[in-house]
Amino acid sequence: MIITKKKNLKDIESFIKEFNSFFLIGCSECATLCGTGDEDAILSFKEWLENQNKKVTGLMIAKTGCQILSTKRQLNEHKEAIDEAQCIVVLSCGAGTQTITEFFKEKPIIPLNDTLFIGNMRRLREFEEKCRACGECFLAITGICVVTLCPKSMLNGPCGGYKEGRCEVNPLRKCAWTIAYEILEKREFVERFYEDILGPKDWSKSNSPREFKER
Amino acid sequence: MSNLKKKLMNGDFVITVEVTPPRGPNITEMVNKLEELKKVVDAVNFTDNPSAKMRLCSMAACKISLDLDFEPVLQMTCRDRNRIGIQSDLLGAHALGIRNILVMTGDHPALGDHKEAKPVYDIDSSILVKLVNNLNNGLDINGNKLNGKTEFFCGAVVNPNAEPILPQLKRFEQKLKMGAEFFQTQMIFEIEKLERFIDYSKKFNTKVIAGIVMIRTKKMLHYIASKVPGVLIPKWLIDEVEKLKDEDVEKFGIDFACSIILSIIEKRLCDGIHIMAFSKVQEVKNLLNLIKIKT
Repeated sequence: MIITKKKNLKDIESFIKEFNSFFLIGCSECATLCGTGDEDAILSFKEWLENQNKKVTGLMIAKTGCQILSTKRQLNEHKEAIDEAQCIVVLSCGAGTQTITEFFKEKPIIPLNDTLFIGNMRRLREFEEKCRACGECFLAITGICVVTLCPKSMLNGPCGGYKEGRCEVNPLRKCAWTIAYEILEKREFVERFYEDILGPKDWSKSNSPREFKER
Repeated sequence: MSNLKKKLMNGDFVITVEVTPPRGPNITEMVNKLEELKKVVDAVNFTDNPSAKMRLCSMAACKISLDLDFEPVLQMTCRDRNRIGIQSDLLGAHALGIRNILVMTGDHPALGDHKEAKPVYDIDSSILVKLVNNLNNGLDINGNKLNGKTEFFCGAVVNPNAEPILPQLKRFEQKLKMGAEFFQTQMIFEIEKLERFIDYSKKFNTKVIAGIVMIRTKKMLHYIASKVPGVLIPKWLIDEVEKLKDEDVEKFGIDFACSIILSIIEKRLCDGIHIMAFSKVQEVKNLLNLIKIKT
């Protein structure tokens, strides 16, 4: 899922100070799992606005904020409340926020969250990045994603910076390549892996902006 | 052919020294050091923004050294340039007369003085060795023909201190296969760990230069132990240095480096040494004098 984190409200103040009426939009997918776009998050932000004598004209939780057409249909149901608001605050990821921007070019759209990464949830609201959507998956070879988990995206084994199996960048983490190497060993794949060299990687597959059409 | 390559191929024991280019435009001090060092060592190895801390570039330092008639080794990391920048810089370095290069992945910006910088790491050091080998064969990294061949003497790095060691040895082998002609090790504090690596590397026909550091102060020892990636200093050594009076540490450091070097020479472990003296010229001289006396 897409991991989001609520911005510091101090940083939001400068964006909202000139407006008096707001429409709030959350998302029932990732942002709900992150607690940044669910009903609680919206109501808590609503209360914060109202405590500053600002008006909330209405709210909506998009079923899937990154689905452009279905979100448009949902928005139509709230036309009046949206028209009444001077600006819209979106509690989702950056993708969901821009769905809204597509339909309201003239109205300020303010994101309440920062979008962090594609994440796996280990415990409730504890997220880890395991895949960075590089467009060229090596997991069949390395077991874990060394492009993501190694800060240097080493493709052919560890750098010389690890100490007792710990990463030079963050010693709290195991060196991704010591994990990948163990996997290669357990699968009896080490010799085969080193018969060849992996890369140079085709980074053009992750050059933004990307599009994909399954047609 | 570079003098360093000639000597290594002849089986001569080589001595190189590391110099970190200045942090700023004033090169006077560096030039003075080079004038002194060129009398006592075979080549000078210029670091490429070491520990991800911004410095004058290694290529310019190499050119300055060449002009002083002092053979340089250009260090090139994968941290700050993509494959276009690396190839372009290497061709430029070649045009300037630089022949020895030492390639490595490079310390991460998170450890340096520009922590917010975007790390590049477009390729890793194994690929970089392959890239240099391609240039030496008149090809770019994509295999497209260039208008000539470079004549680089390409070295790579290896860390015999690494735990676990196996993945490190595999990468050593891979760099060798990609065309690395010599290896420079991370700083050595335990001769046993160097021996463990040499036992493995002996199976292959390559040249190994051992990294030697001179401990100058207790602070420096702790800095290396905590901040230099991939270096584990044994506890007994830290304890021993801690017991010393501050003014005795420098002498201990030279004696200790000397004892490591003498073991390397006696046991014929390596083909040379690379002295990391953090640009302290006098200490390099003292160390080399001491080796002369003892050998």
